[in-house]
Formats: sequence, structure tokens, C-alpha cells
Amino acid sequence: MRRVLITGAAGWTGGHLARRLEARPDLEVFGVDEIEPRVSFASDFRRLSLDRLTLARYVIDVQPHIVFHLQSVHPTSKHGRNTEAEERIIGSLALFGAIERLDTVEKVIVKSDTAIYGASPRNPSVLSETTRSQGTPSRFQRDLTEMERFIGRAAERDPDIAFSVLRFAPILGPQVNNPISRYLTLPSVPTLMGFDPRLQFIHEADAVAALEHTADHDVSGTFNIAAGGQIYLSRVLRLGRRIPQPLPGRLFDGALSGLARVNINVPRHLRGLLKHGRVTDTTAMTRSLGFEPTLSCRQTVLSAYGHRLGDAQ
Amino acid sequence: MTREQLSSMTKTQLMTIARERDLAGRSTMTKAQLVDELAESERSPDTAIPESEGLGGITIPGIAPEDRAEARARRDALNERLKGFVDTETHCDWMSIEGHPCGLPVVQGTHRCGLHGDGSIADRAFPLTGQLGFSSWPRLWRHLSLATYDIDAFGLDPVIAEMAWHVLNMLYYDYFRVEVEGIEHVPMDGGGVLVANHGGAALPYDGAMLSLAVMNEAVVPRRVRVVGTEIFNMLPGVSHMYRKVGAAYAARDDARELLRRGHLLGVFPEGERGFMKPVWEAYRVGRLGRGGFAELADEASTPIVPVAIIGSEEVHPAVMVSKKLAKLVRMFFPEQRVNEIAVALNPVPLPIRWHIRFLPPVMPTAADHHLDALDQLERAEDVRRTIQSALDDMLSERRTAF
Repeated sequence: MRRVLITGAAGWTGGHLARRLEARPDLEVFGVDEIEPRVSFASDFRRLSLDRLTLARYVIDVQPHIVFHLQSVHPTSKHGRNTEAEERIIGSLALFGAIERLDTVEKVIVKSDTAIYGASPRNPSVLSETTRSQGTPSRFQRDLTEMERFIGRAAERDPDIAFSVLRFAPILGPQVNNPISRYLTLPSVPTLMGFDPRLQFIHEADAVAALEHTADHDVSGTFNIAAGGQIYLSRVLRLGRRIPQPLPGRLFDGALSGLARVNINVPRHLRGLLKHGRVTDTTAMTRSLGFEPTLSCRQTVLSAYGHRLGDAQ
Repeated sequence: MTREQLSSMTKTQLMTIARERDLAGRSTMTKAQLVDELAESERSPDTAIPESEGLGGITIPGIAPEDRAEARARRDALNERLKGFVDTETHCDWMSIEGHPCGLPVVQGTHRCGLHGDGSIADRAFPLTGQLGFSSWPRLWRHLSLATYDIDAFGLDPVIAEMAWHVLNMLYYDYFRVEVEGIEHVPMDGGGVLVANHGGAALPYDGAMLSLAVMNEAVVPRRVRVVGTEIFNMLPGVSHMYRKVGAAYAARDDARELLRRGHLLGVFPEGERGFMKPVWEAYRVGRLGRGGFAELADEASTPIVPVAIIGSEEVHPAVMVSKKLAKLVRMFFPEQRVNEIAVALNPVPLPIRWHIRFLPPVMPTAADHHLDALDQLERAEDVRRTIQSALDDMLSERRTAF
């Protein structure tokens, strides 16, 4: 019986990952998060604050073999205003410290985000894992970079543990509820006038499958996880029969903060994405990691807008 | 027009017709003489004004009727040639998951149309509907609005690129009347770097004309992926359009990736400084950047094709290059990095007759030999000199710019 620890198990991805893993007889799942789970699962769930030492102590108690660190960086818009994000970073640092102390751990899989590349007009059109981002980083981007640096250091100190960092493109699907999916499913979508970003997505089921795939295979390293192809925002809205509302810069900002009032948060780091877009190179995912998403970007978008995908093209 | 119709007109109307037909001595004629002469000229077919398809019935000052006729002939020849690449009898059987059939003709030798095929449309610009021109737009528009196809990694949208091709062909054939030499030097397969002199001062017409030259004249209509500076990424409206029509951002990674995928890369290494050349420096090729293109081409072991373009540097003759104006622009758009702005007096481009000459390619060095920084700069300087001498040669042969 191998033990699996999932941090951020209350989220959509964490919950579904826990469900899939607990169905397997050889695994025992332990979930941790700060809030009550959105997707209920049968295994052990502990509500802990993910800051400094509580999480690390719990990890030492559990003695896991595989660690999924999903809730690594706080994704909401409250960056810069509170210290929650920083606590998370320190929580990650403590977690990696605990992992180093344990000799049971074989594998650590960290969920990162393609937002680590930022969105700058000086970024190359296709971003590979080794690309260094250009332009001023957002808070979210800096937190991600810092977290990945911890992982790099931990991997250096402990070469026996396989550390994998999966940089996910925005996760989209019929069920997942995150800032980008809430934004895209608005009946009328404010867009930035004169800009039509190239976007990439990953289907929610594929995202969970990618995490599971990484746990099953003997790989380590950093991988971009995105569905095949790329799509312009205008196409996304057309496929979803949404009416774009092109607004000039200031008004666009105003519209986004207006949406925040009605509880549709579009975080600051997404504003850059909606201006310059982001397309990553997924050859490492298909070649080294050996993972192939089942749906393309276009199909992911259609599925997010509620199309049934029978015999997918 | 019959003699009766002509005689029922006023003298002013007759004069207008006479002016259009370029009747000699018309200003001294009486009305009766005008009627006689015009009825006479009606019969002789050589003075008939050729109909033009490209710009409708609009007459462009400075462009002779013979040119219009020639433009039409060239356009028809192109259309006829490109039809051969598409099998209009067979239709693509692709069906979207929402149930929209494709219905476009298939590319010759395959069973899929350009949009839903193997992605070679990113490199080869076969006409999607089998014909060029605005009559194909409703069918293209359908695919555009249904979003039935994928774009390539650099943002090329084949449908929008084809629409832009139709529009820009009017500039290419009717307005700039581009003449192309040495198209056989462009590789018809695999990567290649086209290096050209830069000009324009207002809009990068030369980028468009360079890609059209390869699409319209080469044996296989290949796309030239012209790369531009980051300013394109920042300007509203331009930021996505330039990608959709097939250009790319001039990041080193992008250029490398384009060559790796076997595309033709179009570069203007003179950059902004070449673009903003004042008119008295026209056709004096400046330093070709840092010679980065030589390194790129050598890494990918692809040939470098120097291209000399006559015309681009005169369409908007820049009479002054202002730093103060650039400062003003920066005040309103702080994120733009403009140092200079060229000021041209004409808002409409001049109808210059363009010549594009593709020069013999510079082959890459052997695989085991690496270019060092000095080799790179030397190769760039060689390319610069080749382009410059070709430009001088073409300028000395040219009788008039128009």
C-alpha cells in the first residue's frame, strides 16, 4: 500500500484526482486543504492551513510515497493585498523541507501554471520550458517562479526523489469553475479592443489525467501541459456564441473590476493573457512525458460551452 | 456610343470623354469636330479603355490603361495556374462536431482541403476555394465565422491570410505593378531566409509585396513568414492582424522555430533605421543589424536569398525624420519604444513601379563548421553588398519611377 498526499484537494482538480486515485487498490489517499472539498471523495481529508509548519508536520506524520502539490500558489486576485500568497510560498518551502527529511517519498508532482511565462509583447510566440519570460512579472508569476526555484533546489539536494513540475495551460471544461471559465462563459464578454490573444487550454479531464500519468511514469522535469493547437480569443467566443464587447484599455479595466463586484473575479494576471496571449510548446509533454491530451483546444472550448463530444474530430 | 448619342451631349461632357480617350488637339476643337473625332475613335479598337477587374472602374491617376490591361492578364494567368493545385471536382469530407460540413475543394493529391488537411497550408498558399478574388469570399467567410479550422502556432489564420492576399493583389498588380526577377532562386522546399532592403516610412509595404512576389510568381505558391519588431505586438488592431496574415514576431526563438519547421523566413535586418530612411538616402542599404540572420540560416543550414526591392523606399518619401515627434508619441503611449518618426508628405502611397530581384542564394557552410561572430558579420556584409550592387544596377536601368 503506497500513500499519496494531495495538497489542495478541495479544488476541482484535486478532488477529481483523489477520486481517481482512491479507486485504485494499491494507493491510499490523504487530502489536505484549507477549505471544505468542492468534490467529495471517500479518503481521508484533513482541513489544515497550508502555512508554515502545520502542513509540514502533517506530511511527516503521513509519510507519503507520492506527493501531489496542487495548491502551491494562491490563484485568486487578492495578490498584493494580503499576505496569504506569501504564506503559501512559505508553506511550500516547509513542505519541501519535510519531503527532504522523509525517506519514503519517491515522487513529487507540483502543479504550476503557464502564467509563469507572463504575457509580454516581447515574449516569443511559442514558449518552451527553457524560455525566460520578458517584461515586468505579475505577482502571481513571481510567486510561481519562486516556488519553482524551491523545487529546483530541493531536486538538487535530493536526487533520489523525482520532482515533476507540470505547467498547466488554463483549465477549461463543462464542470470546472475557475476565473477563466467564469470569464469565458459570461453572456457578453468584455475584450480588449484591438487585441486578439492566441490562447491554449487544457480540458479538465485531461488535466487530471496528466497528473495521474506523471505519477505512473518514471519521469522528472518541467513540462508544459496544454491541449493540441491554439485558438484566438475571438474564435473561442464565436464557438461559444458569446458576444464580444471590445473596450479600450481603461474601460476594459473598469469592466473587469465591475465583474469582480458581481463575484466574477478576473485576476490581474489574466489581463496580460487577454492582451498578449500565450502559446506554449508541448513537444516535451508528448515526447519525454509521453502524455497525449485526448481533446484539442478547439474541442476543449466546445466542451466547455456544453457541446457533447461524441465522435470527436 | 453612336454619333447620335454623342451629338446629344453638351460640349463639356464631350470634352470629358475626349480627355479620357486622350484625344490629340481636343482643346481647340469645336463641338461638331469633337463629335466627329470621338465617333471615329469609337471604331478604332486600340484606343478602347480596357476594363479592369481589380479596382473596379476606378481610374488611378498615373497608371496607364496598358498597365491595367497587363495587370488583368497577369491576374488571370495566376488564377489559371493556381487552379491546378486544387481539385474542384472533389470536396473535403471533414465535418465539425457541431455538424457543419466543410465542402471546400481538396488539395490535389490529398483527400482534404487546405484548412483541414495536414497543416501544409501554413507553408503553401493554395487557394482554398480554388479561385482567387472576392467572389470566393462568401465561402471563406463561412469558415471564418464557424471557426472550423485551427491556426498555426505563430497565429497564421489561412482564411484571413487568403482574404488579405486577394486585397493586396490589387496593390501588387494594379498599383505597384510589381515586376519580379530571379524567382527561381527561392527554394521551393524546406527553409530559407530571404533578406531584403527595408523602406516604407509609413507602412511596411515591402513585407507584403515580398510575400506576394513569392506567392504569385513562384512555381509553388509558398508563404514568406516575414518577421517584425515587437511594436507590432503592441499596436491595437495590428497586434493580431499581422499574425493572422502570416507574419511573425522577430524573436530569435521564433525565427529558429520557423526555420526548423521548414518555412521561408522574410527578414528586413535594417530594421527601424532602414524603415525610416529619409528620401535622400533611399536605396542605400544600411548595416544589416548584427548579422543574426546569417547565424540563424547557418544553424538551420538553410540558404540565404538576398532580395533587392526597388519601390518600397519611394512610396512614402520621408522628408524629415523627427525625434521630437517620437517624444510626443511616447508621451501618450509610454510603452512604445519609438526613437524616431519619419514624416512623409503624402497620405496616399505614390504609384511607383516596383521591381523585386531575387539574387543567387548564399549556401550554408558545411555542417561541422561553425560561424563565429566575425564570419557572421562578414557574411552579413557580403549580403549587404550584393543587395546594394543589385539595387544600383536596377536603378541605373530604370527610366522612370512611375
